[in-house]
Amino acid sequence: MNWKNEQKQSGMRQYLKVSIFFPILVLVLYSILFLVMPDKAWPALKNSVSILQSLLIPLCLVFGLIFLINLFLNPAKVAKYLGRTSGLKGAVLSAIAGVISVGPIYAWYPLLKDIKEKGAADSSIAIFLNNRAVKPFLLPIMIAYFGLLFVIVLTVLMIVASFAIGYVLSIFMGIDKPKCAD
Amino acid sequence: MKIAISSAGSTLSSNVARQLGTAEYMMIIDLDTGDVEAVSNPGKGQQRGAGIQAVMLAISNGADTVLTGYCNPAISRQFETGGIEIVTGISGTVAETIQNFKDILPKETDANLDRSAGEAPKTDKKKYINAARSALRQLINILPVMFSIVLLIGLFNTLISKKILAGIFSGNPLIDNFLGACFGSIFTTNPINSYIIGGELLKHGVSLVAVTSFVIAWVTVGLIQLPAEMTALGRRFAVLRNFLSFLSAIIVAFLTVSVLNLTGIVS
Repeated sequence: MNWKNEQKQSGMRQYLKVSIFFPILVLVLYSILFLVMPDKAWPALKNSVSILQSLLIPLCLVFGLIFLINLFLNPAKVAKYLGRTSGLKGAVLSAIAGVISVGPIYAWYPLLKDIKEKGAADSSIAIFLNNRAVKPFLLPIMIAYFGLLFVIVLTVLMIVASFAIGYVLSIFMGIDKPKCAD
Repeated sequence: MKIAISSAGSTLSSNVARQLGTAEYMMIIDLDTGDVEAVSNPGKGQQRGAGIQAVMLAISNGADTVLTGYCNPAISRQFETGGIEIVTGISGTVAETIQNFKDILPKETDANLDRSAGEAPKTDKKKYINAARSALRQLINILPVMFSIVLLIGLFNTLISKKILAGIFSGNPLIDNFLGACFGSIFTTNPINSYIIGGELLKHGVSLVAVTSFVIAWVTVGLIQLPAEMTALGRRFAVLRNFLSFLSAIIVAFLTVSVLNLTGIVS
């Protein structure tokens, strides 16, 4: 199976679908609503605007945090070491790379495939992917909605769970030798 | 300072390759020592994924700047995130490119040499600008889908009553938890969207455990992305990882709410 074509079809197309077609779909939906039920459309729009207003300050903080991460950390550089390290060090590095990684997931698949072929453990890749759920620069938004304590508890548990998933996955993958991706 | 130039051949007289990802070679030039190395480009002849490999090649060779004919914006961003400056629109031979680059460089090199006194390097300002520019771009990338989600929620808040929602999320923690994880498993987009949706669901009286499993599954499980993950990392790996992540979303949601209950924050 041709990886490039497959990747193009599934990863990129899905991303485009979400980032282009989704907003268009929503706009079409609103247009229809304005024509059919204008009395419902206005409150819906007003409600959306008030949600956006409440997101304004957290979003500014998000910008500041992304700026700092860009300045001091380099996800690609950290990810590069995943192929060379193993054990606890590898797991911690994978977690850090996952946490600081940005951008749509499809952009990371080629790099992950590459470092996997270079010898990165399955557990490292799984830990990387699961820690993408922990995003320090989005904490302001999360705190605004759920409160600080919830965010701390959830973040800690998610990181612990990612290690558990990496561990269990490596056991299952080791039962018989995994086939190569292609 | 090291620069990398995409090249059609392995000598200094070779032409600069127009496409970065698919170039035959990457010439790595150390401007301080004058060392030149021709590194075969692993992405040559490929279409997708070649750009990412070029980024990796430049990073692993310690390049500060990459010069090429053309590089697509998504890959440029990867370079910027990696702290590497990318200069496009370059043509001519590799030797000419090095000379031209050196001609515009002296001021900056002198500044670097004067740095021994311990002053802040001049390039720091550039680093800040690049980081800010890249942050702005990352934020802008998030916005279209985020705005759409907010608009949908506005619609949802107006059209869907609490009664309908209560019909789906019955209040049974086990079922709610499972349903939350199911809804979160469909897509994988930026987590910011799951926070907004989750937060609004909470306001509508949906239980915290359902919202939590939804938020976790949103990023860690992706049915729509599954084919891409399978081709990149293997069918078995992708299916297992998604399945384990789904289970983990349910368990972590349950534990999170239990911990919060213990602290008395959530009644």
